[in-house]
Amino acid sequence: MRTWVRGLGGKEALASVLVLLFGACALANGAPIPHGTLELVAENPWVAAGRQFNLGLHFQLEKGWHIYWVNPGDSGEPPRVEWRLPGGITVAAIEWPTPQRFQSSTIVDYGYEDEVLLIAPLNVDAHLGQQASIQVGAAVKLLVCSHEMCVPGKAELSLTLPMRPDSHAPDARNGDIFAATRKSLPRRMPANWRLGVSQTSDSFVVTADLGHPIAGRTIRRAIFYPLVESQIENAAPQNLISQASGFQLTLRKSDQLVNLPERLKGVLVVSFGSSQPDQAYSVDAPIKHAAPLSPGDVKKRGPALGIRQNGQSLPIQSLKEEPQI
Amino acid sequence: MKPSNLYSMLVALALYAASTLVWAAKVGEPAPDFTGSASSGQTIHLSDYRGKYIVLEWHNNGCPFVGKQYNSGNMQRLEKQWISRGVVWLTMESSAPGKQGYVTASQENDYLAKVQASPTAALLDPTGAIGHLYDAKTSPHMFVINPQGILIYDGAIDDKPTTDVNDVPGATNYVSLALEHAMAGKPVPTPVTRPYGCSVKYVDSTH
Repeated sequence: MRTWVRGLGGKEALASVLVLLFGACALANGAPIPHGTLELVAENPWVAAGRQFNLGLHFQLEKGWHIYWVNPGDSGEPPRVEWRLPGGITVAAIEWPTPQRFQSSTIVDYGYEDEVLLIAPLNVDAHLGQQASIQVGAAVKLLVCSHEMCVPGKAELSLTLPMRPDSHAPDARNGDIFAATRKSLPRRMPANWRLGVSQTSDSFVVTADLGHPIAGRTIRRAIFYPLVESQIENAAPQNLISQASGFQLTLRKSDQLVNLPERLKGVLVVSFGSSQPDQAYSVDAPIKHAAPLSPGDVKKRGPALGIRQNGQSLPIQSLKEEPQI
Repeated sequence: MKPSNLYSMLVALALYAASTLVWAAKVGEPAPDFTGSASSGQTIHLSDYRGKYIVLEWHNNGCPFVGKQYNSGNMQRLEKQWISRGVVWLTMESSAPGKQGYVTASQENDYLAKVQASPTAALLDPTGAIGHLYDAKTSPHMFVINPQGILIYDGAIDDKPTTDVNDVPGATNYVSLALEHAMAGKPVPTPVTRPYGCSVKYVDSTH
């Protein structure tokens, strides 16, 4: 340490120490993880028996470092959480905010940088009303990466919350980040939108009909984030075509796609123009078959998909008829 | 911008897309040949090994997913087991200078000695040329080539995509599965899987 400080000029050394100090302050309150901190936070200052409450895993990362979405993309792995909960408390699936793309060379990953809150809703049994407080905890394993390297980390977190019979009041300190995070969760598509997914031999084609002409409200950008690994080629360009009342987005099938999925699931982020914020929508749509030659051919024709091995095409599982949207 | 400039840019883009997405190695097709420098100082041509099974193992000594395989001794066991059955095992180093996993020849030799690994050769690919030829995405990312030079496996080391050493014993190893089936004259049951690991730390591209 001494050599390092001596190696720098006086001002630089002071500046470095200040950066270290303020960097540490900015990341206070959480358990240390590689290149950041992780804190278990509650949306409300107490919990009530028989009601739902929300916990959050609040990740704060140094500049240039990221963690991963539930589908990490071409590399990496999502944080894995083991909840430590007393009897009578159950946890639902984590609500994953819309991720970002991290591209380096031909590799595309999905994740979060700077700061992210992963919200988990919990249910409290009505019979727990007798207790004065509850202790909840989480053991988290995660991978933190920059474009240059990856570092594994883990953290044991716990939180004691008082039980009160009455309903929630928002916590002054944490209420805001829960509210802000909810804005970045993908939402349901507007009721008048119609989304269809068809396929060609090498692509999925997502067609969105917004139910009205979109003249003057051009779709500037649309990006699909696949919820399931190995369905689309993450690094392939997603080709957007504007149509009179919507748009079409072509997604290249993954080279690792062996069994054709029945549904396309993920998040579709649409940008309507510079003055409006991007909108993120949840997608869960059946994938249509290739059009049959004649009605009688439906059962005989399989989709043109399969991976070749030694020049032979491998069989793939047959598909059930799916209703079309 | 003049139309001719735009045109040549589009052509360059198309060629780039074709080179990275269409012409990368594909299971069922001939494995692309390459020439590379080994940490031993030898020059290696993939075609020198025609007639043998070849395993390509993308590696990065700092990556925790690679650490899981080496700290448990699993990768070293696999190497020994398959090399003793006539398989050629090539460890590939595609990290760019300054990035995690970049090694010089002597650093690589020291590393191999330290972890008691004994691949047939360790190839130094700091430009990422061989990595891109195979579209290697992660460390580890494994490929198996049959004696006819056909790629028969492309994907993960096993079916447990974690950094946890405790996941090694119960995992199905896809490389062994591919080699066992191919050597028995049977088709490889899982010829393509999703590789998992750290992203290969390639030289930054300008696009």
